[in-house]
Amino acid sequence: MLEELLMAFINGILLGGVLALLAFGLNLIFGVVKIIHMAYGQFVMLGFYFIYYFHTAWHMPLLVAMGAGIVVMGLLGMLVQLLIINPLLNAPRLNQLLALASLIIVLENLAQVIWGADYRGIPISMPIIQFGDIFIRSSYLLAFLGAIATLGILYLFLHKTYFGLAIRSVAQDVEIAKGMGINPKVIYYITLAAGGALTGVVAAFFIPIYTVHPHFGASFTLMAFVIVVFGGMGNLMGGFISAFIIGVVTSITAVLTSTEVADILALVMFILMMMVRPQGILGAKA
Amino acid sequence: MKRNSTTSKIVTAGVLLIIALAPLLATSEYMVHIGTLILLWAFVSTAWAYMARFGLVSLGHGVFLGIGAYIPVMLFNYYGVSPWLGMLAGVGAAVLVASILGYACFRFGLIGDYFALVTLAMAEVVSLAIVACREVTGGSLGCTLKASVGWASFQFDDKRYFYYIIFAFLLLALYIWRLIDKSRMRLALTAIEESELAASSMGVSIIRFKMGITLLSAGLTAMGGVLYAQYVTYINPGTISGVGVSLSTCFKAILGGMFNIFGPLAGSAIMVSLEEYFRISFDTGFLGVSEIIFGVVLLVMIIFLPKGIVGSVSEWLNKRFGVARS
Repeated sequence: MLEELLMAFINGILLGGVLALLAFGLNLIFGVVKIIHMAYGQFVMLGFYFIYYFHTAWHMPLLVAMGAGIVVMGLLGMLVQLLIINPLLNAPRLNQLLALASLIIVLENLAQVIWGADYRGIPISMPIIQFGDIFIRSSYLLAFLGAIATLGILYLFLHKTYFGLAIRSVAQDVEIAKGMGINPKVIYYITLAAGGALTGVVAAFFIPIYTVHPHFGASFTLMAFVIVVFGGMGNLMGGFISAFIIGVVTSITAVLTSTEVADILALVMFILMMMVRPQGILGAKA
Repeated sequence: MKRNSTTSKIVTAGVLLIIALAPLLATSEYMVHIGTLILLWAFVSTAWAYMARFGLVSLGHGVFLGIGAYIPVMLFNYYGVSPWLGMLAGVGAAVLVASILGYACFRFGLIGDYFALVTLAMAEVVSLAIVACREVTGGSLGCTLKASVGWASFQFDDKRYFYYIIFAFLLLALYIWRLIDKSRMRLALTAIEESELAASSMGVSIIRFKMGITLLSAGLTAMGGVLYAQYVTYINPGTISGVGVSLSTCFKAILGGMFNIFGPLAGSAIMVSLEEYFRISFDTGFLGVSEIIFGVVLLVMIIFLPKGIVGSVSEWLNKRFGVARS
């Protein structure tokens, strides 16, 4: 039992790394464009399908297919900005939310029409690493390391480049940023492209772990929300820490009870957090 | 002004008369079935719009639909409790849950998109809970209501019974809408939506009025769940609770126009008939095409016609003929 719990803990940490990446994208979009991207998990689902399709139908080598999938997802992110977010920039927040929620319907059914309702995946067998009584799947470990490396690159991008500076300044104050000669629309496109590409990266890490189906994304949207709200919306560091908390809590609960109870627990944490401490674990009181 | 209100009364009476006579003119059982579904979803999304038109956009009405559908069916299947009592239990439980969740939301001042997100999460919690109790509820495979035809068990062979029963409930919902329009509640809720601070400084009790409209909306929505279960006789957490049905309920109202009394009815009529049309003309090979088109239409509506079809048309008519809204 103790080994099982320890393994659940380690898996929670490893999965938490990938979830941190997912939450980072959602958080970045919320912080910069001030929009809640309701269809973010569905983007991961699409990314998964694109990589699958490039690999199986066009016979690209897996790594090339992954690269192509990431690029396509980045472009799709910009398309969402162009067609949905731009016309709604000054609309009430609720309309933005509902528009992106209807995007969920479009994307899930599009996937169903194109690829069907079956479970699809690329069979890759990766070794299992053993430490004493503890078994760790190397696919999880690889995803974790990859996610941390990607987060590091994103951190450098945000803090060491001109565009990163511009993105952070738009997140802080659009009006002042405009005064400094930054065109917020260009920054929005870059942010959505980065957010889209991130879903492609997450999908690439998920390839050896999961199989995909049209409703694959829904649980990840909710999970990313839970993490983002838990860490404080727009707070990147808070999101990073809470991804591990949520990852470990759900993973251990799933071992002790069932996955449904684990999801319920995560959602209840989300609801309570929204009510009692909407600024998140690290946020300062507004 | 006078002429406008007479015209709208005539139009209203005409629409209701057509609905009332439709089953007599229908050529097949199937058409009555579609009509029943339209009225059922119109009833539910009208109840949803009670709250939404005052800015309380709930994306979690699946909570009440699920409770209303599951409790009477469970009671009847396992204990043989009459659906008439089960109905009371289901609606009562939904109102109880609504009062707890609603109080928590309003006490902590959740409004706008935060309220929408929290209610969405609540819908998912109820749906997951139904799946988790799979020994009792049948999990995600759903469960079937034990067949037993007659008034005592509230199941009928002739589809027209349900058509008229649900029509009566829709009329009730529309009548309550009118009552709300004339009441102090509407003024209070409009004031609260404009500015909670200003409203409360005028002595309007924010929590009391929000709770009032929420309990009303939740109770009627749960009744919709009861009617759904009794009519369809098969329930499943994916179709009657959870995020999917919560979103589609609100999308029906938005499509028609949630600020207009007939908006949800129009939206449900359009959506249910479109769904059926695509289901028949494309068969299963293109399963999902209707939803894609529906999603795109919704997107276009939200971006370009945020008042919905009925809302935009009546606004255009008013502008065109220069009559102020009554």
